[in-house]
Amino acid sequence: MATKAVRAKKLKVAIRGPGKTAIKLTVNGETHELLIEPRRTLLNALRKDLGLTGTKKACDEGTCGTCTVLLEGKPIYACMALAIECDGKSVETIESLSKDGQLHPIQRAFIAEDALQCGFCTPGQIMSVKALLDENPNPTLDDVKRVLSGNLCRCGAYPKLFQAALRAADLVRTGR
Amino acid sequence: MRTFEHVNAPDVQTAVALLGEASTEAIAGGTDLLGELKARLRSPQRLVNLKTLAGLQEISYSPKAGLRLGALVTLAEIERHPIIQERFPILAQAAASAATPQLRNMGTIGGNLCQKPRCWYYRNKLFECWLKGGDKCFAEDGENKYHAILGADRCHAVHPSDLAPALIALDATLRVVGPDLDGELSLEELYTKPTESRRQMTILGPGELITDIRVPIPKNGSRGVYLKTMERQSWSFALVSVAAQMNFAGERIADARVVLGGVAAIPWRARDSERILIGQRFSEGLAERAVEAAVAGAQPLRDNEYKVSLAKALVKRVIIDLCSTTD
Amino acid sequence: MPKVIKTKTEFEGHVFEEYVVVEGEGLSAWEPQAPLKFVGQKTPRIDGPERVTGRALYTFDVQLPGMLYGKILRSPHPHAKIKKLDTRRAAKLPGVRAVLSYKNTPKISFRQGQTFVFDEIVRYVGDEVACVIADDEEIAEDALELIEVEYELLPFVLDPEEALQPHAPKVQLSGNLLNGKPDLYERGDLDQGFAQAGVIVEGAFKTQCALHNCMETHGSVALWEGDSLTIWDSTQHIFGVRAAAAQLLGLPLNKVRVIKKYMGGGFGSKNGLGKYTVIAALGAKMTGRPVKIMLDRHEENLAAGNRPATVQHLKIGAKHDGTLTALELRASVGAGAFCTWPPSVGGPARQLYLCPNVKTEQHTVFTNTGPLSAFRAPGYVEGTFALESLMDELARKLDIDPIELRLKNYTEIDQMTGRPYSTKGLREAYERGTKLFGWDLTPRSPSLKGRGGSPPTLGEGLGERFRRGFGMASQIWSGNGSPPAYALVKLNPDGTATVISGTQDIGTGTKTVLAQVAAEELDFPIEKISVEIGDTQLGPYAPLSAGSMTVASVGPAVRVAAHDARQQLLDIAAQVLEVPRESLTICDGLLSSSAIKEPVAVKDVLEKLENFMIIGRGAREPNPEDVTVNTFGVQFAEVAVDTETGEVKVERIVAVHDSGRVINPLTLSSQIEGGIIQGLGYALCEQRVVDKATGVVINGNLENYKLPTALDIPEIVFEMVDQPDPRANNLGVKGVGEPPIIPTAAAIANAVADAIGVRISELPITRDKVLKALKKE
Ligand SMILES: Cc1cc2nc3c(=O)[nH]c(=O)nc-3n(C[C@@H](O)[C@@H](O)[C@H](O)COP(=O)(O)OP(=O)(O)OC[C@H]3O[C@@H](n4cnc5c(N)ncnc54)[C@H](O)[C@@H]3O)c2cc1C
Ligand code: SF4
Ligand code: FES
Ligand code: FES
Repeated sequence: MATKAVRAKKLKVAIRGPGKTAIKLTVNGETHELLIEPRRTLLNALRKDLGLTGTKKACDEGTCGTCTVLLEGKPIYACMALAIECDGKSVETIESLSKDGQLHPIQRAFIAEDALQCGFCTPGQIMSVKALLDENPNPTLDDVKRVLSGNLCRCGAYPKLFQAALRAADLVRTGR
Repeated sequence: MRTFEHVNAPDVQTAVALLGEASTEAIAGGTDLLGELKARLRSPQRLVNLKTLAGLQEISYSPKAGLRLGALVTLAEIERHPIIQERFPILAQAAASAATPQLRNMGTIGGNLCQKPRCWYYRNKLFECWLKGGDKCFAEDGENKYHAILGADRCHAVHPSDLAPALIALDATLRVVGPDLDGELSLEELYTKPTESRRQMTILGPGELITDIRVPIPKNGSRGVYLKTMERQSWSFALVSVAAQMNFAGERIADARVVLGGVAAIPWRARDSERILIGQRFSEGLAERAVEAAVAGAQPLRDNEYKVSLAKALVKRVIIDLCSTTD
Repeated sequence: MPKVIKTKTEFEGHVFEEYVVVEGEGLSAWEPQAPLKFVGQKTPRIDGPERVTGRALYTFDVQLPGMLYGKILRSPHPHAKIKKLDTRRAAKLPGVRAVLSYKNTPKISFRQGQTFVFDEIVRYVGDEVACVIADDEEIAEDALELIEVEYELLPFVLDPEEALQPHAPKVQLSGNLLNGKPDLYERGDLDQGFAQAGVIVEGAFKTQCALHNCMETHGSVALWEGDSLTIWDSTQHIFGVRAAAAQLLGLPLNKVRVIKKYMGGGFGSKNGLGKYTVIAALGAKMTGRPVKIMLDRHEENLAAGNRPATVQHLKIGAKHDGTLTALELRASVGAGAFCTWPPSVGGPARQLYLCPNVKTEQHTVFTNTGPLSAFRAPGYVEGTFALESLMDELARKLDIDPIELRLKNYTEIDQMTGRPYSTKGLREAYERGTKLFGWDLTPRSPSLKGRGGSPPTLGEGLGERFRRGFGMASQIWSGNGSPPAYALVKLNPDGTATVISGTQDIGTGTKTVLAQVAAEELDFPIEKISVEIGDTQLGPYAPLSAGSMTVASVGPAVRVAAHDARQQLLDIAAQVLEVPRESLTICDGLLSSSAIKEPVAVKDVLEKLENFMIIGRGAREPNPEDVTVNTFGVQFAEVAVDTETGEVKVERIVAVHDSGRVINPLTLSSQIEGGIIQGLGYALCEQRVVDKATGVVINGNLENYKLPTALDIPEIVFEMVDQPDPRANNLGVKGVGEPPIIPTAAAIANAVADAIGVRISELPITRDKVLKALKKE
């Protein structure tokens, strides 16, 4: 370890950890300073350090999609990202969607179509749909299925999820 | 995950120097590496983050030099790139077939080519299997429906990448930079069957990094296709996949590259099939012979005989597809 | 005055006799054509906003000040005795607050004495050995690696058939056969039945071990305040957890509170108390801080239950016209290491068809694998696969249309009891399903063999290598609901109402349905109704949310309570408004009477009473004794099989079910679609894989345990018979949670057999099996 540290120092790079280190994370528009170990995942940072428990964890290994958030606008699995590598970046979570007590059209569409049962996968599904509509306000059923192909729903709400995404697109397009 | 230190790599030289040290690993998208760390299969004391390497994030194309992919380019960028879709469709297809939209936004091409096997014994800490330094392959007499049918020796795991077969079919080359090396090699050369003294699936040594992938422009009239079979319609590694690129001189097949995924420890180039096809006109009989040649010498295990049928079906389909499409 | 009544209840194929207390007025069911305002309307979930904003608080989301995390050390061996356990190094790791094991915790008997919370014998890979309580999960995991355990390895057995051999290692001291004998059912004379048969078909059917994989894993948070314990638990039965936790921890019931606000799926696996709950409570006591233990995905798939694998030898005898004469089933079920409640695999064989001579025999066998638990229609999914597959074979052999064969053996009598069914809409379901699916237009192959001459059922537009097939299967299931279940309806001074019951919404929409029932009975706008459930301290008792019984058990109690509240409101309003009581009516939350000019808001009456709160009480009435209440249904599947790659693509499922009156068509349709999709996964890709040499589950994750994704979903079309069942209960409802998963796999298997001409009698129907079957052909 000692010799390593010396050599790394010679290389003039900032070595952080293994203990806690400070990072800046912009979540839903607000910048937070966090003290975290390098092994902290973005998901745990959101849930445990920031108390944003809307984003779920059902596998912690990139196999379920319940932890889907937008990193710099793109959907990713927060469980497979290290928080330290999101230093200085911006993250959008489910908590950002409804503004001033008004539900986002995607959220309204999910309720209207009953695109949820237990609801545990729902925040992740909604973030995937959000990413789709941000990019393509006019998706086809196939687009919807493909964008949701990284979000499992054990309750099997899929048919309703498809309808909800299409209805949401309609609501967004028509500004309702 | 056990604790580790973390360094953002400022440039390739520094990254290489850092990675030359003991217990240090590179992290790109992290979608493969974090899986291993979470399962506590390995515990590097330090991670070197490659995502901060400027200059390795770009896709560039010129009609002369062909396609250049920085190692940090994500699968999503490959899947959606208009020129790749148009000129290198099998690459776009392979990228689109991998994992999920979220993982494709995270996972890089460099990481994809260097990912570790998905063998369920390998990924489980309870099994100290041969590839991990033990002395037994648990899959050989165990549960092996996802395992290799071709060329296996001590280890029966398959290479999981979807991109590698496609890139090999496109004759891609790599630039590899290491502590005392900076050179080009063909992607095919990157992969090796694990051996007693070298229990890994690539020839990369400590501190050696892939920086770029270069893909030559396919000849005019060249056509390619990537087919992948899975146990469900998405979010699965290939049971068997086939990447094929062919070009034609009139009615004859001028060149053919056929590469199988999911069947061996390395992306499996079906050279015998290629030899059978090259110079010939398409016929049912020709396809039949090429198909048989692709799986010649297959040694299925208890649970994966079906992969032989799958490989045959896919090879047949790509040959028919490529020979029957007209521009 | 509460009345005590003795009654029979049925739960998932088992019949119990118990006393129940009934209170409130007996109400009869609404007339089938009664004009109802809320019941029967598509009603979006009243808790939708919480669920779509991430505000819904799941057990997994509970974070308390000072909360610690527990991680469980699990056995790496399928059967072993712990010889030495040294936790000292783990305990010294900074951030570790306690390490629990059999050494420093009371010996608490678990699963009716089959094990202890911390046992010195471990009986499957994943069995609990110790638990680290630490400041964070990562630290707890670091500490788990520092616990040193020396095991004395014991011989183990994984396969149920092997476990029944005389010299097999004993998983339980009492022997490997549950209760020491098979579960036997017999009626009529089997030998005579087979002697009467013109044709006999038989087959061995195998079903896999399936894992629930609820998205929210099992887990609890435990908090002690003085000698009172509060448990947040991801459970389908808060009162069950309260009773069991109180008993195991030696606490009076009033010192244990169990809360479950939202849960991420259960499907039967969360019906009872888990070891993690007890361990969290012990850890919280030891550290003086709240403790949270949530299983990770891998633990979930080792230790949180499963639908057990079955082997079923089934034999059917029939006359040449299709009349069944004998039915014999011998089933073995791999229970895993512990089992107090076996699923009833023989249920469908005993009940679905008219047959005088029936014998079912079930061996439930202990093995050194993770223990089974209920999984959506336990036993019936497995049993229906075998029965409906073999019925299909019989139809082919007799050259009778599969539906005609089933109609031939239709019964209006419950053959287990001799009582008629209260209502049975299966005939109508067959008729409507046949039309909806276009069954009569499908070119079903008349015979599995001799396909030679008949035109191949090519996949239209799919190309030569595809074959298309069509199949159907039926379903029976209890779903009757039963007492005891209680509810309160409070009318607040502002004219709002609160429904209270100790039930739980496991994602099925219980809250919304209860609000609809209360709104209907009170005739209040539904926005005025809120529903408080999932807390033992709030609500009166309600049963577990399982067995498709929540709506049919709790719903009627809510209606009675709302009725009671309404009566009280009318009594009070008559006095406050000084009008004759008979003249008063309520409509949309307004009181009117011929004696007053303008309608008066309920609020205006109740506000006069200085915060008086009307409390209506209701109980679920006993079930009728002279009829059997069951649910029925049929599903049809259309598949395309790629004969080159063995891929089975389910293109369409059509379902028609009879679950009595439909209260909320919206949430009900979610149940139907969800059940079918789980059935699809079970049919095609889900399967736990255990390494035979070591007993380790090697696909206990969501990568290799394959659940259907968005791209795997077929077109799903369904209708409900929607006939209120007036004898079932005062709502006329029957359950719907489980029925839709029951026939799906069988219908798909029948369609695959139709497509490729070979029967695949083992689930799941994966490519390797299809390719092998095609080779046989
Ligand atoms: C659930 C799941 C499903 C998946 N499905 C598929 C699939 O269907 N098809 C498929 O192909 N893949 C699949 N993957 C694998 C996925 O991890 C890769 O596709 C991804 O591209 C890896 O890239 P990464 O940047 O995340 O790699 P990382 O995890 O960052 O790195 C992987 C390995 O490569 C090394 N490495 C990274 N970059 C370099 C470099 N430039 N030079 C040298 N070494 C390097 C790392 O040290 C590490 O050992 C799946 C993964 C998961 C978790
Ligand atoms: S196949 Fe390879 S990785 Fe898998 S158990 Fe055998 S040696 Fe290990
Ligand atoms: S928790 Fe991140 S994908 Fe499952
Ligand atoms: S709603 Fe339960 S997992 Fe999707």
